Order: sequence, then C-alpha cells, then structure tokens
Amino acid sequence: MSTGSFSKPFSAAFDINSQEFSLTGVIRPRSVDEIAVNISMLKGAIDQVRGVLYINVKRLIQMNNTAFHAFVRVFLDACRARPDLRFVIVTSSVVGWTTRMFSHLNKIEPQITIEVYDSKFYPGQSFVEDASFIPILRTQTKMTWRHERTILPRHGMRPGIAMADICCGIGDFAVLVQKEFQPLRIVALDHSRASLAYARDVATGFGITDIEYTYGDASEMLLEDSQFDFVSCRHSLQIFNRPDVLLAELYRICKPGGRVYVTNEKNSHCLGEPRSQSIQWTYNEVAKLFSHFEMDVELGPKSRRYFADAGFEDIVVESIMVSNLDGDPQDFADVIAAWENVYAGEMAVKRGDSPEFIQRFRQGFQDHIFAALHPKGYAGWPIWVASGRKPR
Amino acid sequence: MNEADRESVEAAFEPLLQLEMEMTTFLSDWHHCDQLSTFIGRIVSHNRTDPVRHSNVFSSVLNELLEVSFRGGSPDGQIDCAVYRHGAVERVRLTFPCPPHQRQFVGEAVSKTRRADALARHLDSISTDLASNRDAVFLDLAINFDARIRLENSAPPSITLVVDLPLQGIVN
Ligand SMILES: C[S@@+](CC[C@H](N)C(=O)[O-])C[C@H]1O[C@@H](n2cnc3c(N)ncnc32)[C@H](O)[C@@H]1O
Repeated sequence: MSTGSFSKPFSAAFDINSQEFSLTGVIRPRSVDEIAVNISMLKGAIDQVRGVLYINVKRLIQMNNTAFHAFVRVFLDACRARPDLRFVIVTSSVVGWTTRMFSHLNKIEPQITIEVYDSKFYPGQSFVEDASFIPILRTQTKMTWRHERTILPRHGMRPGIAMADICCGIGDFAVLVQKEFQPLRIVALDHSRASLAYARDVATGFGITDIEYTYGDASEMLLEDSQFDFVSCRHSLQIFNRPDVLLAELYRICKPGGRVYVTNEKNSHCLGEPRSQSIQWTYNEVAKLFSHFEMDVELGPKSRRYFADAGFEDIVVESIMVSNLDGDPQDFADVIAAWENVYAGEMAVKRGDSPEFIQRFRQGFQDHIFAALHPKGYAGWPIWVASGRKPR
Repeated sequence: MNEADRESVEAAFEPLLQLEMEMTTFLSDWHHCDQLSTFIGRIVSHNRTDPVRHSNVFSSVLNELLEVSFRGGSPDGQIDCAVYRHGAVERVRLTFPCPPHQRQFVGEAVSKTRRADALARHLDSISTDLASNRDAVFLDLAINFDARIRLENSAPPSITLVVDLPLQGIVN
C-alpha cells in the first residue's frame, strides 16, 4: 500500500475576511506535533478575530481523537481567556459524526455553538429538493432517455466502466444506464433524502441491487479524486448558483482520461405551435424567475465555455429537441403541467408575483400543453448535452 | 447471557472479512491504521444502504481501534482483524499482542464505556487534559458512534476487543 493512496490530503486555512478557520480532508496524526503548524495557525486566528470565529469542518472527512482533542483544547482555552469571543462550528449533515462529536462542546462552553450548514445552503434548494419534484423528474427522464441512450456512447459511455451520477434525483437515469450499458460500478449521489428513498425503491423494484445511492452535497463530495471513467450530472449545473464550483468537483472525481457529461436547458427556447407567442413569453419569464433564485436555466449553450474554463479537453456539445412527437404526447403534457405547478404555483408565489402575472404565466404552460396535444401541433423542449475529457 | 445464548448470537453474526498481519509489519508505518481502516471500510460497506457514508463512519471507528493497537501493541505475533455482520450491526473483532499492563489499561477503559456515567466522563475527557488518551478513545466510540465494546477472553499476551457497531442509525 503506498502511503496516501487512500486518503485525501489534509489542509487547514484561515480567512480573516470571513473570520473562518477551516479544516478539510483526513486528519489522522500520530501525535500533536504533526499538526503543530495548524494548531498555531488556529491560535493566530483567535488572536486576530473579533466577535465570532467560524470553524468550518464541512469537508472534514476524517479526524482522529488525537487531532480532535488538540484542536478542542485550543477552543476551550480561548473561551476561558476570551469571554468576548464566540465559536460557531459549521458541520455538514453528510458527515454526521462530526456534528455529534462537536456538539458536546456546547455543553462544556455555551460560547461554542454548532451549525449544520447544508439545511439551507443555496437559494433554490427548497424547490429542487422538494418531494413535489419527483413526478416531474420521472417523466422527464423517460422522455430524454429516448435521445440519450443513442447519444451517450458518443460521450464515453460503454460497458464495464466505473461511473457516478451526481445530483441523481430519483435515480432513474442510473437504473436505465445500468440496464442498457452494464457499467461495473455506479455511484449515484443526491442531497434530497426523499428522492434517494424513492430511488432505492425504484431500483429494488427493478431487481437492481448494485447501484450505490449516497446522500451528499455535490459541491463538497466525500468521494475521492480520480475514481470514475464517466461522471454525469443532468439538469443540475443550471440550478447551482455557482456552476463552476460544481463542475470543478465533477472534474476532481473523474479519472484522467475519463469524461464528465452534463445536460442543461435553455428554458427561453422552449417552443410550440400553435400559440407560440404566449408560450414564448412564459418561458422567457421562467428564465427570469429562476435567475431571481440564482439559478441559470439558460445555461445549456454556455456549457462549452464552462468546460473550457474548467480545463477539459475534447469538448463535445450537441443539442436535442425533446418533443411531443417522441412518444406519448400526454407524457409531454404531464411534464409541462408539473412545471406549471412548481414554477407558477410555488416559485412565482414565493417571489411575490401578482395574481395577474401568475395567471398570464400559467397561460403559457396551458398553451404549451395545448400545442403538445393538438393533432397538428408541435411542442418542443430543447436540451444541450456537453461532455469533456479530463486531461491525462 | 449464558453460554448457549451467547453461542446462538455469535452464530447469527456472519463473517464478512478477516485480515491478519505480522505486528512488526503493522507497526512499521503509522499510515497503516488509516489505510487499513479505509480499505476495510469500503469492502464491508459496499452493500449497505449508503456505502459511501457507511464506509466513512466505519473507517472512523476502525481507525481508532487500530490506533489503540498501534500505540499499545507489542511487536511479536500477529494482529488479526475480523468483521462480521448481523442485521444492522457490524462487529469488529480485533486481536493483537500487548504487554500485561496495557491489557489492564484497555480493560479498565472499556469497562468505563459501559457505566451509566459514560457521557459525563466523555465530557470530562474533552474538557480536561488529564484523562488518558485510551479512555477518551473508547468513550468517544461509545458516545458518538453508539459502539458497544467488550473484551473477550484470549490467551496472553494477546488481547481481543469486540466492538458492535449499529452504524445504520448514524448513516441514515
Ligand atoms: C433538476 S433535478 C435533476 C435530477 C436528475 N439528474 C434528473 O435529471 O432527473 C436536480 C437535483 O439536484 C439535487 N441537488 C440539489 N442540490 C444538490 C446538492 N448540493 N448536492 C447534491 N444534489 C443536489 C436535487 O435534490 C435534485 O434531485
């Protein structure tokens, strides 16, 4: 076994502007001496801050007792020496034991409190993790899969690979890939416990037992570097307020020579005939509504630039048009009805839109459904597929 | 528990994996604790509900146990680590050679985890510098990982720790 081959490196950092001291990676020293530098960095940080010092352990993957006690010693001493100072320890719900371990400190010193960061960590979170999204995802995947199953091999999908589907939603894509392409390993990660529970049920229903569904934050994953030949992330870069951060994580877990594959929309380009103008108005408004919640559902065609900026090579971009002609037009209509529910029924309401606006907003979805079900109508939902290779 | 009961419970635990290593080899590099716990964690967790997070938690516990044997073990004989499963519980059985006084320390530390005041002792071990490292480790495992720890009779100079881990509760 080569030293370090299993572990992520450990690092400590202090940012004076945010008054935040962060510990990341695997910290398993044999003695305190090995982390003496980090301990004195922490002491230095305490000397410099006023009010609150944030201790960020969100990406702390492992910490042994030796390290825990050494750092805690410093916190507790500081509480006694500096009654003016508060400590907020920021943990993650993904690494549950850190919350448990650190929460005892509050019983010893009330100046120390614990916050679990990822209950509300970006503006659109509550919408996309909600169980009401589940029916939309299921029908969406059914419609896009007709296209993706033929597209995927062009982007590096093949039997026998190790793959990860990040932001897997209800996991139906992972199940379809498993059946069609027989990868050797599939890890599927999401931050919605409701979706994951559903995903496990779906997989069991198909008699599939070897998809590793895992709860995690895509922008701070526990997964180690360079593990997967193929990393997919569908319809999700567009819902992050920092897509570049997410893409960097996808890059990190991808093997050199492997590929990252994403799909995204450009919502303002949804279209239909008849009633095209009302439809177009509504989808333009969808894009604005999402941007109000810091999500960019216009991202699709920008993915080429994101991939280039992230350092990928051999970037391949193509677009597909999912339409009412693909299969059962009622599927298409169901998806639009679900969009209307969430976008007009929840998000616009949350933004504080007037009833008149919401009514007109809903009309465009209704017209899109009308176009989809019309015997001579056409309704389209364009999607951009992009992939890039991580350099060797 | 009488002998017959114990045997039936033991029989219910299905073996998942066993690993033996010369103590001299094990003691030659501190990183073996980290590497072995990560490696074993992955193997035993692959068919758990959330393998990634199960293996992270499992590795945390196993690493501490291996560190105990690294710090207290003696360089003659073998270290033997076996993992079993029964329902939602993983059992680690770790045997390693150690000097007689270590045996006694470990025995005392383990028994403290089973007393009613374990949480108070744990808080105490965090807030004072005085508590021994070994006490702190076992209390941490009992309090933060719901570990049930006992010593099994084994022939000196070896010592056998048996640790039951209902980790599914922490993971899900
Ligand atoms: C629009 S859905 C796409 C789901 C799936 N890829 C699909 O195409 O059906 C976005 C998904 O991202 C998940 N998600 C949002 N934020 C996340 C985060 N920080 N980490 C992991 N998953 C996240 C949501 O729970 C949701 O399932």
